[in-house]
Amino acid sequence: MAGTVIGEGLTIEGDISGDEEIVIHGNLRGRLTTTDAVTVGGTAVVGADITGASLSVAGQVTGDVTASERVDIQAGGKLVGDIKAARFTIADGASFKGNVDMEV
Amino acid sequence: MAESSVIGAGTVVSGHIRGQGSLEILGRVEGDVTVTGNVLIGPEGRVRGQVSGAELRISGHVQGDLRATLAVLLEPGARVAGDISGPRVGIAPGALARGHVQTDAEPAPVAARPAAAAARPITPPVRLAAAQAAPTPAKFEAKPPAAPLKFEAKPPAAPLKFEAKPPAAPPKLEAKAPAAPLKFEAKPPAVPARFEIKAPLPPAPPSPPKVAPPKPEMRKPEPVRVAPVAPPQAEFTPVRPLKPEPRRPPPPVVPVISKGTKAKKKKSHD
Repeated sequence: MAGTVIGEGLTIEGDISGDEEIVIHGNLRGRLTTTDAVTVGGTAVVGADITGASLSVAGQVTGDVTASERVDIQAGGKLVGDIKAARFTIADGASFKGNVDMEV
Repeated sequence: MAESSVIGAGTVVSGHIRGQGSLEILGRVEGDVTVTGNVLIGPEGRVRGQVSGAELRISGHVQGDLRATLAVLLEPGARVAGDISGPRVGIAPGALARGHVQTDAEPAPVAARPAAAAARPITPPVRLAAAQAAPTPAKFEAKPPAAPLKFEAKPPAAPLKFEAKPPAAPPKLEAKAPAAPLKFEAKPPAVPARFEIKAPLPPAPPSPPKVAPPKPEMRKPEPVRVAPVAPPQAEFTPVRPLKPEPRRPPPPVVPVISKGTKAKKKKSHD
């Protein structure tokens, strides 16, 4: 079970930080920092820089992403911003705009 | 739609949370929380801000107002510092609350009714309130020392002024009483000390015991006849602290210049 869940219909304006998994189905505007995985659900709209171990995007994300492990954009997902991660995948049907730094 | 949300124990949210659905706070939130559903704040939950929802069930700490459209329930271990309002308000034994409590529906937060009446329904909260009252006096105690410090900072400046004056003043004072200057130097610190005591007294009535002892000590030096003389110095110091010194030497120079100027003028006319 995820440590933190932002349900659909909920809006957070501000910073979120922690050391556990975060799942977002609602709206977030601000900044998101965790040492664990971050999941952005299909109904989520996130306008925030995201830092975490991994990021999975099925909804909309606008902001720079820094992941220590990996970033995955699912089909239907949309991400606008720069990505810095060791591994990065874009599923067929996903949209992405930004720079990628895979620490080559 | 009414999906439930969770702020995990290891998560900190700095900002406002609003929207639909219920919310469970197990971590920390620094900001206002406004939801249409229920809000549950776990034992380890910490909220600093206003919390609004249908039913608020508090087991953690809240520093801010609680407003519910259905009920506010403070569970054992809860600690709330803020106003509580809702159709139903429950404070369980073992819960701490400090603030205005109103069990009416939700009229404007009228402060007409004394908070004391509503805040004392249960005995434990009262005791707890008393326990919490202790920290507040502590705050007052902390204030007095702060005030004296400000005044203390002034005295050092004042003595310097007085010390600086003696060298210039001795010629005048020596004729009157050579011993007097010594007394004056010692008194200046005492005079400001009186002011220190007076200042803290009005703001903090509970602290008299501590303040009282210093008064007698300070009064003893006062009886001396020199006391009336000291105040005049104090009056001069605030008005013109350091300026008088530099001004005194120049006066002799001024007349010389005036003579010179006249001479120059005459010469120039000539």
